[in-house]
Amino acid sequence: MSLRKVLPILLALCSLAAAHEIGSTRVTARFPGDGTYAIEVVTDGAALAEKLQGAAIDSAKFRQRIKIAFDDTAVDPSISYSVTPAPDATSAPAATIRLTGQIPANARQLTWTFGWTFVTYSFQAGNATEWLEGSQPSKPVSLAVQTPPPGRLDIIGRYLTLGFTHIVPHGLDHMLFVLGIYLLSRRARSVLLQVSAFTLAHSITLGLSIYGVVSVSPRVVEPMIALSIAYVAIENLFLSELRSWRIALVFGFGLLHGLGFAGVLQELGLPRAEFLTALLSFNVGVEAGQLAVIAAAFLLVGWRYSDRIWYRSRIVIPASLMIACTAIYWTVERLIA
Amino acid sequence: MNRRHLISLALLCSPLLLAHDMWIEPSTFFPKNGDVVSLRLLVGQELLGDPLPRSSALINRFIHEDAAGRKPVIGREGANPAGFVRVAEPGMQVVGYWSNPSAVEQTAEKFNRYLKEEGLDSIAALRARRGQKGGVVHELFARCAKSLVLSGAPNKLQADRALGLPLELVAERNPYLLGAAEELPVRLTYENRPLAGALVVAINRLNPMEKLSARSGVDGRVRLKLRSGGMWLIKTVHMIPAPAGANAEWLSYWASLTFELPVTNAKGR
Repeated sequence: MSLRKVLPILLALCSLAAAHEIGSTRVTARFPGDGTYAIEVVTDGAALAEKLQGAAIDSAKFRQRIKIAFDDTAVDPSISYSVTPAPDATSAPAATIRLTGQIPANARQLTWTFGWTFVTYSFQAGNATEWLEGSQPSKPVSLAVQTPPPGRLDIIGRYLTLGFTHIVPHGLDHMLFVLGIYLLSRRARSVLLQVSAFTLAHSITLGLSIYGVVSVSPRVVEPMIALSIAYVAIENLFLSELRSWRIALVFGFGLLHGLGFAGVLQELGLPRAEFLTALLSFNVGVEAGQLAVIAAAFLLVGWRYSDRIWYRSRIVIPASLMIACTAIYWTVERLIA
Repeated sequence: MNRRHLISLALLCSPLLLAHDMWIEPSTFFPKNGDVVSLRLLVGQELLGDPLPRSSALINRFIHEDAAGRKPVIGREGANPAGFVRVAEPGMQVVGYWSNPSAVEQTAEKFNRYLKEEGLDSIAALRARRGQKGGVVHELFARCAKSLVLSGAPNKLQADRALGLPLELVAERNPYLLGAAEELPVRLTYENRPLAGALVVAINRLNPMEKLSARSGVDGRVRLKLRSGGMWLIKTVHMIPAPAGANAEWLSYWASLTFELPVTNAKGR
């Protein structure tokens, strides 16, 4: 084999560590401590319907390829299911199947087998996650070492961090929007009013989206977010003082950004038991991330140079131009994608 | 029917199916100009599959070629459907997906059964000569899937084309012009050269248990008489010893080609 032919193979092999055919199925086993078990299977609804070929979820046909065994004794679960419609044309409906029942007395471990998928899927029990091929039995899961679900403080810490890191360092677009707000005027009042309007607005849509009251496709929201960044930055070129309509616009843009935050939070998932705690913690984390961006900008340039005569010409205008160009590029990119 | 090829129409209702096919399934095979077609990557058997969400770690090449040229298939990381194409030029839209290799390990017993199922007799013979009987077998596998989507009326100038996948099935006639009782010539290439002796299998969506199979000739060709309408999957597997340092003994390529024969055209097939 010549080097020309071998090279693509070797290059492909180099990326092997990350390459696995992982499907969209996720299985979670829970043991609430009251002698019951609950196993939740989330899988592609359309693919499951095709495989079932008209059979019901609680039919013998479905049960045939599922095995829940406690200490090698198979149990027959109660089965219920729900289908979440696809949020937009770029997604697929998800089926959630719940398998529940009593754990046999004195049982020490669970083994799980799911024969309704052909690809690798995740099986989570407690803090441990195992990757299983379709039909492959799980390793025995000890019921004794199941850690209790995370407490409220853990959830607050976890979702505060998720909210913060969604802005710094992962949310470059949100960072640029906040910088655009900061650059408008040297006055602290200007920043305070705009940030307050932005915060109020994105908190509203984040909450409404998470509770399912509003739903807008990411294909619409993402380009609009990029466009809002471009608008704020371009307006900075022509405006140096806060106007009331700017606050209204920032409020409107905040509604959009909230829909974007909701998309991320929905992908991360929220614990059912502490839904509101996690939602509020995520929102506070987002605020902290935004304030960190403003604090960094103030310490780097605002504190020392905002009273200089060249502050606007050498910092505000070039920085706003760069933000605007980046945001316009994102707008086009997101529209095409 | 070419006598050099073993053509068999058999019910292969095997409960032992070990290896899973991978194919591209578009939301429609017959979009209008300007339509956006979503592309699902499916892994399964008997044309029942699980979708693979888009994974940049897996994608080596995911492309769409039409009369105007070649473009990458766009999509959102982690999303299913894994890709989207907008039909900007009428005619044949050839979509191709080449994955980075994934690793799998299985017992020698299972591996031998899989070699038999996929017709990889030369590898089975090689293992026998080397005395490789027991233990665990480590394999890398890469997907080389294609799909033919037609926008507008079919004509003779439209054709499938080679996209440069390592293992590739190329329909040598426009399947959308295939008449009743006509055979579809399909050429199989490995690294752009004809691959002989490979078992090529055709499966129809409406009757997936009834499979049509043929061995490729010295010119890499098979001729398949596709009697039914509906979606067809043509597939084959080629295996080679894995390159040194790959932490596996074998490297396989899984080629597939999907298209849909209109049910109206299938009358009399």
